[in-house]
Amino acid sequence: MPILEARSLTKTFRRPDKAPGFKGALKHLAQRRYKTYTAVDAIDLAIEPGESVAYVGPNGAGKSTTVKLLTGILRPSEGTVRVMGRDPHTERIANAHDIGVLFGQRTQLWWDLPVEESLKLLKHMYGVSDADYKARIAKFDELLDLGEFMPSLARTLSLGQRMRADLACALIHAPKMVYLDEPTIGLDISVKDRLRAFLRELVDEGTTLLLTSHDLADIEEVCERIVVIDKGTVAYDGPIQQLKAHYITTKAVNLILEGPADVPALAEKFPEYGWAAGEAPSEVVVTYESNRFTTAEVLGGLTAQLAPRDLSLSEPSIEDVIRRLYAGELTR
Amino acid sequence: MSHTTAVDRALIVISFKRRLAYKSGWVFGLALGGGAMLISMAMWHNLLGTGSLSGYDWESMRAYLIIGFIAATMVFGASDFTIADRILDGHIAVDMTKPVDFQRARGAEYIGSMISTAPTAAVGVLGAWLLFDPPGPATPVAGVLTAVSFLLLFPLAFGITYLSILVCFWTKRYLGIMWLREALLSFFSGMMIPLAFMPGWLQAVSWALPFPHFTATPAAIYLGQVDVPGALGLIAAEAAWVVGLWFAGRLVFRFAVRKVTVHGG
Repeated sequence: MPILEARSLTKTFRRPDKAPGFKGALKHLAQRRYKTYTAVDAIDLAIEPGESVAYVGPNGAGKSTTVKLLTGILRPSEGTVRVMGRDPHTERIANAHDIGVLFGQRTQLWWDLPVEESLKLLKHMYGVSDADYKARIAKFDELLDLGEFMPSLARTLSLGQRMRADLACALIHAPKMVYLDEPTIGLDISVKDRLRAFLRELVDEGTTLLLTSHDLADIEEVCERIVVIDKGTVAYDGPIQQLKAHYITTKAVNLILEGPADVPALAEKFPEYGWAAGEAPSEVVVTYESNRFTTAEVLGGLTAQLAPRDLSLSEPSIEDVIRRLYAGELTR
Repeated sequence: MSHTTAVDRALIVISFKRRLAYKSGWVFGLALGGGAMLISMAMWHNLLGTGSLSGYDWESMRAYLIIGFIAATMVFGASDFTIADRILDGHIAVDMTKPVDFQRARGAEYIGSMISTAPTAAVGVLGAWLLFDPPGPATPVAGVLTAVSFLLLFPLAFGITYLSILVCFWTKRYLGIMWLREALLSFFSGMMIPLAFMPGWLQAVSWALPFPHFTATPAAIYLGQVDVPGALGLIAAEAAWVVGLWFAGRLVFRFAVRKVTVHGG
């Protein structure tokens, strides 16, 4: 049975339809007009317990609105949501006990107090026992180095520290379902790595995770399933590996030859592959369809006939696939 | 202690601590409130002289102004902006993911911030007492009932403030609403001038509103302008407003929450 199930989930907003400038503002005062736009359009989504799902899409695709619908912050215009059998909007308080939420752009720390005070308040809110609180803080300290800034005022924290503290706030009650909306936004690579390692451990322990991010490394390292949303509708929903296998059919090998590469001659000699000049005169990029040739075949043939000085394989990039999905070049 | 009471207490304490983080606010509160009280004292001293106006002589007016100062410090020093800002800047999204009743949690925070005004009020009252030597309560019972009336100001102030903050869901602005509320409260509570100085019809309008309980009610009880049954009646009316505004807040929030439109992350 899914831990989260959304059916035909829709959210529409009404926006003032104003012409620009002073004249437009005056006209709007006299004659108010609004436009309705659909942020989330009849989305169906089911998440099983223990799944880690990436929810991705371009800016304005409806990701954050979906998260707010799933967490009970917003009321759906149409459709239904059930999280652990509850309607998260009408049963908001009961639902909030079992979920953890992190909004990367909105802190839940009390800005003018030490981090420790915010966590203690959340301990009271969620009714966490003293023993559990101590054990979880110790674990957060081990994995996120929380101890170093626990006594610091929230407003004095760096962005990385703030995000780690916010993550601890979202998880202090060991929620069954966790929503993370852009948890690594603005972080440097070392803090991102630590957060991702922490999230992987969380998933390994059985926590259900829904992650939205523009950083595709977050998605590849933490999630098994990906839901791509665009213009409020689901463009793809399936395992990340399947997405790669299905759409990433072109692979590439970079060859560095002993002398300058004659690309037209090579293309004539090996017409089954694609050929392009590399960055250096002696460099050439060979592309091939992975459903026609194995990498071993390609490498074996090319090294035997061209004897390259060096070669490297380009790893298939999920980023390219998602970019093409956004651009409408690929369909489900 | 039940779980919800423990959460209330934790929110009150954290709100108090947040105010404690900005000590200069207390100093400014004292300077502004104390300054306003001194100006009022000087003005009324000149106006009343040795005579009386609408039942107030200089002695009773001194107590009246100190009562008004305490109420103003409690109400105007509380942190209504913190709640309004969270609605306007979208942090309400975070509040809505917490397993607490939204109104009750905001009430606890607001009352915590009202309690944080106690040092300002205490220092101001002590100074005024030493400077002006106002009369004590008409009777010990009047003193106790005045204290009860003041205690009810905590939930009453929250009820009015919360309702006015909820208007932000529609207006998307708060400053004007706050100015309007504070102007209405200052005028109809009797903080600016005692209600007895107003024409009869305006007094009737005032007493039909919750505002007189911020100054006129505790002052009338303290000065013995009403007997014990009269004082109990005023306190009952104040309590009725507390209950009514609480449920009005619940009702309005049910509609307001549908207006939540937190765009972007």
